[in-house]
Amino acid sequence: MVAKDLVPRFYKNERKDFLASIPKELLLDALKRMLLIRNFETRAEAAYQQGKVGGFFHSYIGQEAIQTAAYQVIGKDNWWITSYRCHALALLLGATPDELMAELFGRVTGNAKGRGGSMHFYTDRLLGGFGIVGGQIPIATGAAFSLKYLDQKSKVAVCFMGEGAVAQGSFHESLNLASLWNLPCIYVIENNQWGMGTAVNRALTNKRIAEEKAPGYNMKGYTFDGMDYLDCFAAFQHVYREVLETGRPVLIEALTERFKGHSISDPALYRTKDELKACMSRDPILQMKTDLIEAKILTEEQYKAIDKECRETVLKAITFAEDSPWPSPDTLGEDVFAPETEEGIR
Amino acid sequence: MTSTQLIELREALRQAMDEEMERDSRVFIMGEEVAEYNGAYKVTKGMLAKWGPKRVIDTPIAELGFGGLAIGAAMTGLRPIVEFMSFNFSFVGADQIISNAAKMYYMSGNRYSVPIVFRGPNGAAAQVSSQHSHCVESIYGVLPGLIIVAPSNAYDAKGLLKSSIRSNNPVLFLESELSYGDKMEIPTEEYLVPIGKANVVQEGNDVTLISHSRMVNLCKQAALELLAQGISVEVIDLRSIRPLDIETVARSIRKTHRAVLVEEGHFFAGITAEVGFEIMEVCFDDLDAPIVRVCQRDTPMPYSKVLEVETMPTVPRIIAAIKQTKI
Repeated sequence: MVAKDLVPRFYKNERKDFLASIPKELLLDALKRMLLIRNFETRAEAAYQQGKVGGFFHSYIGQEAIQTAAYQVIGKDNWWITSYRCHALALLLGATPDELMAELFGRVTGNAKGRGGSMHFYTDRLLGGFGIVGGQIPIATGAAFSLKYLDQKSKVAVCFMGEGAVAQGSFHESLNLASLWNLPCIYVIENNQWGMGTAVNRALTNKRIAEEKAPGYNMKGYTFDGMDYLDCFAAFQHVYREVLETGRPVLIEALTERFKGHSISDPALYRTKDELKACMSRDPILQMKTDLIEAKILTEEQYKAIDKECRETVLKAITFAEDSPWPSPDTLGEDVFAPETEEGIR
Repeated sequence: MTSTQLIELREALRQAMDEEMERDSRVFIMGEEVAEYNGAYKVTKGMLAKWGPKRVIDTPIAELGFGGLAIGAAMTGLRPIVEFMSFNFSFVGADQIISNAAKMYYMSGNRYSVPIVFRGPNGAAAQVSSQHSHCVESIYGVLPGLIIVAPSNAYDAKGLLKSSIRSNNPVLFLESELSYGDKMEIPTEEYLVPIGKANVVQEGNDVTLISHSRMVNLCKQAALELLAQGISVEVIDLRSIRPLDIETVARSIRKTHRAVLVEEGHFFAGITAEVGFEIMEVCFDDLDAPIVRVCQRDTPMPYSKVLEVETMPTVPRIIAAIKQTKI
């Protein structure tokens, strides 16, 4: 857990003033999106415990503020890429809870036709959930390369990774290329403190990963509080503007902590109960709720109603998934190759 | 009569890329020394001058980085050609080829295809020792989702590379450093060679000799020497490893009833192991003798000329293998 006095603050004005600078509708939208993610992860995990979902399952609970703020600031119509902890980003980018739950259930109506599972969610702008740590970083860099090649100056690529990926070679090679070739990519390290069961200080020598690594690539690097929606919002506003202006990549670190184990099979015994309690005391959703109630944008009743609505949406998704057909075994061999559209080549 | 040109294999490859870049602005080439140096083996000679640095791109030495970057570019609307200075360097970036390029279309429920060509020299050159000489086709051949092409001559190289660039799937296009200077008369006009069709390069009746890439030339030499001894050899050039055209192979064996398989790479779990097994599955009853194979012996590639020739398939080894089928 990041000690509270060490948590950086990105926005410079008073908290309530900064909050007041964000449109009310956007704040309520953020709360709703975070609650949808929280409810989705909670119910999907319960379905897993009942044996309805298999394989790996990496929960985003505790980290909701980061991708929610990124999505709101940057907007859907860009390229988005993340690790295997991909449920939230798919929801944010418009994949329906139905199709995502059906994917977890391995059904033909699933987001990837039941072929990808928990780690491989997609949308028309989400290039995936990637199962190999750091494997998505060169892909994101390539998406930024395409934007530049095709002269799409108003767009960026956004690449999420855990702090565990920073130790991979793909991180180094990608950031070097992105900086060398002026590619518009926002690399976001979601430092949730643990690479599976290995604490970040046993994997990296850096204290402030982005701030210390970025200068080595002649890039800007920033740190912000990933448990605080407002700080996430401020940070993404800043770096998004900067990348659009400069056409250059940027490296940022969101300090956060997942509330669950690395995956569903991880009881997280490496973290004490007190440590977990401390990080859960900074729950980004509860913080948001408190902020909005204080600002008189939200009432307790309204909060409960939004939470209930999200819960019902997710429960419906579970029903949809359960009622969906399994993929036909006849389709096993389909789509190993994309159809060819040119004549005479195969 | 169609007009022809006598050109080296490297020039055939360049023409293929050049024509496809002319045809499609999304096609570009990226790799180490492809631009200002004009290619380590001069395959991309003159391309920077013609197309400029936007489409002929020198990379730092970072196969994982630029290999993955190109896959990401392919997923987002471009059609990259990536040159590996040696396919042995692809191992540094193998995760991107294996986990991302090969699996993406299937894994994403057909949302994202990866139209990309990785090309460059594969296998042995002249005394470049263990780490620059490995044949990669059997390593990557086990992966569903990859197309693997390995031409033996300039005509096929040009036509197959054009087809590969037009394919909507990831293609590993395996060349041979020792063949870049091979000259051949090929059409001046544009043509394609379809991927997945083996070619009977020499007809014969007594035994079918099956190979791919540079080894096809050794097979043709062996066939010529055996002809003088009254043995008629049918030589098949697989041309593409994935998909494998086992039908053309089987058709020949139904005629000759004997098969010898030649591969520059190693025998263990090699391409000959696969082809041999498929022959057994498809036309076991047509065989009059056990299949024999000639591959690199089970050693890393040694540096010394004397040892190098000992580990590699040679014309005498191929001839001995054919005689082992007791024609």
